[in-house]
Amino acid sequence: MVGEVKKLISIQDLLKNVLKDNVISIEQNKGYLDVLVPTEKLVESAKKLKDSGFDHVKSVTAIDYIAKKQFKITYHISSYLNEELSKYIIGLSTIINRDNPHLPSLSRIWVSAEFQEREVYEFFGITFDDHPDLRLLLLTPVIAALKPLRKDYVVKEESDDIEVDYVAYNTNKWW
Amino acid sequence: MSKNEEKGNGEEKGRFFIGDLDTAAEMAKNALLKGTIGKMVDWANAFSLWPVHLMTSCCGCEIGAAWGPRFDNERYGSLPWVSPRQTNLIIVEGTVTKKMACSVRITWDQMPYPKFAIAMGACSLDGGIFYNSYNIVRPWQVIPIDVYIPGCPPRPEAVSRAIVELQKLLRNKSIAANWIKEAKREDMKNIIPKEDLCGWRGEKVDLNTRFT
Repeated sequence: MVGEVKKLISIQDLLKNVLKDNVISIEQNKGYLDVLVPTEKLVESAKKLKDSGFDHVKSVTAIDYIAKKQFKITYHISSYLNEELSKYIIGLSTIINRDNPHLPSLSRIWVSAEFQEREVYEFFGITFDDHPDLRLLLLTPVIAALKPLRKDYVVKEESDDIEVDYVAYNTNKWW
Repeated sequence: MSKNEEKGNGEEKGRFFIGDLDTAAEMAKNALLKGTIGKMVDWANAFSLWPVHLMTSCCGCEIGAAWGPRFDNERYGSLPWVSPRQTNLIIVEGTVTKKMACSVRITWDQMPYPKFAIAMGACSLDGGIFYNSYNIVRPWQVIPIDVYIPGCPPRPEAVSRAIVELQKLLRNKSIAANWIKEAKREDMKNIIPKEDLCGWRGEKVDLNTRFT
């Protein structure tokens, strides 16, 4: 356990050496490191991280901080080739404004981010600039317009009565 | 006979026509299906319920077990088949998303009459764990369902039970022969129209194309 923590600290030092001024803060919790960088320097830091051995993105996700009016986008990155780095998953995060949310796409640097960014785009309505193919992936256009994973989206309560449901489905464009 | 006389022009007047083959076949079918042959059709349908291979959700694993060697649903004369054109039963396995509903309906429309449907799992009854969600539909809004199987997921024995129940329904109520005759089901009226189900595709789906 102590060895693991030491290794994590060494990786933290590596990140600080690689990214230098770009880092706002590094959060460390149970074998997981989260690096927060400003949005303008996201692409630059991603390039630096790729050069230092992080070769793929495991997942892209967004967190909706509705009280602060912010989105936090996190790229979970790791390595296949570098044995030392492959034991850890590092979060590369950035914070953007909640109204008119957009940020530069990292799919040109890590190809595996392309589909994940499309998923974030349709569930949160966050636009990725210069993404090669930003189309809907899983949802139909009507549902995607609701931005279902945002905190201010409320699902309508369904009734127990089947007849009421029939009327609702007949009157609304339900898909 | 009368149909052909209307169609034929003056040159064909002297010839003798047996009749339009399609109308003759239609009349013969209607006459035959009334009596004992209709019952035989029901009996034959009850022991040849072939489900189409359409896995919408996680209950599909139980389907695999139900037709496997241990539970062996093939002993009821039922065999899972890949093409909707050669099958007469849909088992909707679990939840149906709004995008998948289009595929379910297209598969249903491609199947020949008489055809039946079984809905499986809690999600197909009232939504299950996806109750009050923004992206699911109930299977009974997409196709007419004959038998429901509760459970999350139901055991393979429950699937066997559903097959037996459907066989009973077929032979007691004699519905197979009826639906061959009319080539439609009356209980399709409360169901969401295909244009709504497949509207998100933005393209016209021609269901009458035949794959020869």
